[in-house]
Amino acid sequence: MKRLIVLYFRLISIQVRSQMQYRFSFWMEVLSTMLLNGSYFLALYLVLQQFETIAGWRLGEVAFLAGMVELSFALMDMFFSGFDPDAFSPFVWKGSFDQLLLRPLPITFQVLSSRFVLRRLGRIMEGLVIFIFALILTDVPWSALKIVYLFMVLISQVIVYGALFMVGSTLTFWTVKPIEAVNIVTYGGTEMMTYPMNIYPLWLRRFFTYILPFIFMNYYPALFFLGKADPLGFPVFAPFLAPFAALVVMFLSFKFWKFGLRHYQGTGS
Amino acid sequence: MTEIIQVCELTKTFRVLERQTGWSGAFRSFFHPRHKLVAAVKNVSFGLKPGELVGYLGPNGAGKSTTLKVLTGLLVPTSGQVLVDGQIPWKNRTTYVSKIGAVFGNRSTLWWDLPVMDSLEVLQAMYQVPTHRFKENLKRFNHLLELDEFINTPVRSLSLGQKMRADLCAALLHEPKLVFLDEPTIGLDVVAKQRIREFIRYINREQGTTILLTTHDLSDVEKLCERVMILDHGQLLYDGYLEELTNRFEGERKLNVLFSEEYADIQVEGAQLLQRDGRRAIYAFNWRILSSSELIRRILSEYKVDDLEVRRPDLEQTIRRIYEEELLLK
Repeated sequence: MKRLIVLYFRLISIQVRSQMQYRFSFWMEVLSTMLLNGSYFLALYLVLQQFETIAGWRLGEVAFLAGMVELSFALMDMFFSGFDPDAFSPFVWKGSFDQLLLRPLPITFQVLSSRFVLRRLGRIMEGLVIFIFALILTDVPWSALKIVYLFMVLISQVIVYGALFMVGSTLTFWTVKPIEAVNIVTYGGTEMMTYPMNIYPLWLRRFFTYILPFIFMNYYPALFFLGKADPLGFPVFAPFLAPFAALVVMFLSFKFWKFGLRHYQGTGS
Repeated sequence: MTEIIQVCELTKTFRVLERQTGWSGAFRSFFHPRHKLVAAVKNVSFGLKPGELVGYLGPNGAGKSTTLKVLTGLLVPTSGQVLVDGQIPWKNRTTYVSKIGAVFGNRSTLWWDLPVMDSLEVLQAMYQVPTHRFKENLKRFNHLLELDEFINTPVRSLSLGQKMRADLCAALLHEPKLVFLDEPTIGLDVVAKQRIREFIRYINREQGTTILLTTHDLSDVEKLCERVMILDHGQLLYDGYLEELTNRFEGERKLNVLFSEEYADIQVEGAQLLQRDGRRAIYAFNWRILSSSELIRRILSEYKVDDLEVRRPDLEQTIRRIYEEELLLK
């Protein structure tokens, strides 16, 4: 285990070094990612200037939702770069994946350490700015426990989005090209989480509760942190389901990934 | 000696989508995809003894790579048994691959942006090669492959030949006793090919490494292997000594003669005059019926000759004949 951790940092640092080779263009990319993603929030900000609230959520509160999602998704996008379906599918058909299979290390470890897109820092910083902005506008009575739980929610979100990347990549074993439908869930789903979930129609809410438990990842924890009442009438423990939901989703995705690997070994295409 | 590779009745079939032509065909195959089973490898059996260097020959699509993918554990066969060094390749992947070496000619295992040396060091950590062994091996390989000239160059700036040398070194640093090489000389110039061949010969002869080599460059085989296996359409057409193969198939030899003067009639009994151009003539003869020495004696007894040369058909022709006529022999 210790060996793998050391190796992980070594492999990641290879990625980081080669991406930093052209420093200027690197920072330009970080900056443009930051501004591009920031512009989406800017639009939301302007809308809220007009309407003051969305379903009873004020600017600071929506910024809380958006900041959490942006921050955790960007972190995931960096740490799970290897599982990004758009990068994973050419990785497979170009045969690089076979090269990983020829090395004596767990394959999941190798995929995770095969790619690390540092310029996602731009979006991480953007998420951080929005989140700090939210903290300024809202007055949450923070306690040590709440801060610990906040980090747990953040990590849970990273894990859930990572699980989606994993599913998307696994599917490319069958389809060769990444499936757009998966991207809709990954990118569309996370986009939806930047808004309070009670604005959505029932069927969509059900989908994001029972099929993909996104509602527990961001909306419910936010209700808890911001001290808002639950308009949907879920049990009182709903805000604390995030870590469990994350583990279940990751467990199932991992099983699916393993299943996909077996299929790949059968067809090798 | 027991065999290090045992392959018994190996079959691998793939389900491939049958393409239908035209727009209506594309439409139909979208809603009712029709699949057909294609056997990439059919009932292939062979064995390799420790220390052997065997050439695995076949045209593109013959099933060479499929066989190699099964042997390296990348593919699970449809049926048949494979045992490599007492292990089933596709079970316990990590333990298995730590004992073998593999180079797939058109891809590299090295890190694109990293200097060769750094790549090798990362692989050292991955394969847990003790530092003194690593240094020793590197020194030896460096000597043979002349890595020094580019060891600090990033892989992306290497030439094809340099990349192959670096990859060979990378595949052998953990001292595997069994190595699979898929087209190791593909796309290389003569000098680079020569160096790679010398290295392959070294690790086989001096280190006793068992090597299975696929190629469609016959000079690789002629220069390196005593034994060849020929595969076509997924079936093993020949498995045996290279010499036996040439003996068996090159019944016909050629004799080039340069006569001292232009004779009117140069027909010789038992040989067929293929070509005649002034003083030069080429005869074809079956050496099983008429030996080279007998033919030469007959010519010399009647004519004055300046020069003689007996030519065996090259391996390429022989192999082409085997493919074309599917001369199955075991």
